[in-house]
Amino acid sequence: MRSIYFKELSLYFSSPLFYVIAAVFACVAGIYFCNAMAYVSLLSTMITQHPSFPGIRMDSVFIQPVFSDMVMLVVFFAPLIAMRFYADEKAAGTIELLFTYPVSDLKSLLGKYLAGWTVLTTVLLLTVPLMGLMGLLTRPNWGLVASSYLGLVFLGGAILSMGALFSSLTKHQIIAASLTIGLTLIFWSVGWFAQVFPGGTAGTVLREISLVNHVSPFLKGSISVKDIVFFIEFSLFFLVLAFEAIDSNRLRG
Amino acid sequence: MAASTGLTFGLLCGWTLSLIWKWFVEYTVIVVNNLTKFYGLHSAVEDVTFTVNRGEVFGLLGPNGAGKSTIMKMVASFMPPTSGSVKIMDYDTVKDSLDARKCIGYLPGNTPLYSDMTVESFLRFAAQAKGVKKEQISSEVRGTVSDLGLSEVRERKIDTLPKGYRQRVGLAQALIGDPPVLVFDDPTGGLDARQSREIEGLIKDLSGWKTMLIASHNPSKISGLCDRVAFIDKGRVASLGTPRDLTEKYREHVSIKIIVGDKAKEALKTICRVEGVLSILILNSSMLKVDTVGETDLRPVLADRLVNAGIPLLEIARDEKGLEDVFMDITGRKVH
Repeated sequence: MRSIYFKELSLYFSSPLFYVIAAVFACVAGIYFCNAMAYVSLLSTMITQHPSFPGIRMDSVFIQPVFSDMVMLVVFFAPLIAMRFYADEKAAGTIELLFTYPVSDLKSLLGKYLAGWTVLTTVLLLTVPLMGLMGLLTRPNWGLVASSYLGLVFLGGAILSMGALFSSLTKHQIIAASLTIGLTLIFWSVGWFAQVFPGGTAGTVLREISLVNHVSPFLKGSISVKDIVFFIEFSLFFLVLAFEAIDSNRLRG
Repeated sequence: MAASTGLTFGLLCGWTLSLIWKWFVEYTVIVVNNLTKFYGLHSAVEDVTFTVNRGEVFGLLGPNGAGKSTIMKMVASFMPPTSGSVKIMDYDTVKDSLDARKCIGYLPGNTPLYSDMTVESFLRFAAQAKGVKKEQISSEVRGTVSDLGLSEVRERKIDTLPKGYRQRVGLAQALIGDPPVLVFDDPTGGLDARQSREIEGLIKDLSGWKTMLIASHNPSKISGLCDRVAFIDKGRVASLGTPRDLTEKYREHVSIKIIVGDKAKEALKTICRVEGVLSILILNSSMLKVDTVGETDLRPVLADRLVNAGIPLLEIARDEKGLEDVFMDITGRKVH
């Protein structure tokens, strides 16, 4: 597994795709940060002009909006990282090398998945200097910042597992990415339909499988075992499907 | 007494059989048994059976689409057969896939490589994936790079390399880890004559101490490398044997090529009644191809007749059949 993990990392970091994703992610996150900063600045001006105005809660006016926007970046960028897991190998023909080396399919899948997760975490780390800047200007709730990052990492892991499934089904990276984004958005919005079945089992199920319902607590600074277990189970479910898809690909040749 | 004699006899028989089996397993490195592969309803490979012995170079020859690559993929454990089996050093490629893969160095057709990696990093990855010990990886990579003449390009990205070097990198990844069995699918495909000769030279260097299975659509390129060959046509083994046996077996008549100074028609009239001549074909105004019956060499008689008739004889030679001609005879179509 280590060999596949490091090979994947080496390929990601030598590919222009990673640098484009990282640059665009950092730029857009920077724009969100500046936007939130401008809002804080506006509120500060209002406070100085109207002393009766209540104080600013940085958590709700700055940190949470920034991370809520970054969640959407993860939703769209994680599939771009996952799309090359197997689709790229199939298109280049290197899948024949990979599948004939004495490495089990499970280890190769986990190696690729963990490498994708590492890359996503690296991209997220690019926004840490922005948080450092915030720390210079204000006194942020670092616990909230840390839990929000943790939420993004878990969400990213869940999306990457869906990406692994779709990437194992096609040799076209763009199809894999599109299907992953589509399924992510379905799991994102499925909780909204829970209101259609108030009090019913269907409503509960829809609410429980909704990604947004499990990432939101992290963005509010609440880390619960229930949400962590959900993300782990969600990822495992799609990784098992990906593993089965790889096995079935082998049978079909 | 009788019981103890029977027991001793039984033990002896068992011991002898186990020795024979051990010898067979050690001697027969690749066993392909009734191999069949269906893609949907289309059969790509049907009932293919052959064995490759230790140190032997075995060639699979056939036109494009004959099923050679499918056989190679199944031998290399890339995909399972629909029915039948492949055993590599007694490891079944489906049931003991990982053990079988440990014994194989595989070069797929079209030489797919991780083009964004450098030669060295790719070979390091191949070594790690094949389970080469961490402390041996550097020396293993260095040795393979040196053996295959890749030293000067070891730091270069694979996608910047010319085709010949890419092929060498493909061979290098197959050789790394020192697997006892090498499976090469069209190792000289897409190479020019000089590059082909280089790769053939490398394969020749390996023959004798590695068991090799080589597939090619070009018999002339690998016939000299192989100890035995199997012709594959429409997914089946059309014929199997040593290159010499096959050319002898399918040689129904001896062909003689004659070059005369622009007098092919006159030459035809002169030699057409010679006993043993089966047919004469005028290839151009100065060249004829004469098919003769039996093993008797008619060249002296033909030369005598032509010279006596005053026809300038520039060349007369036996037109030896190559494997490609044999394949055409067997399948009724051209190999490539």
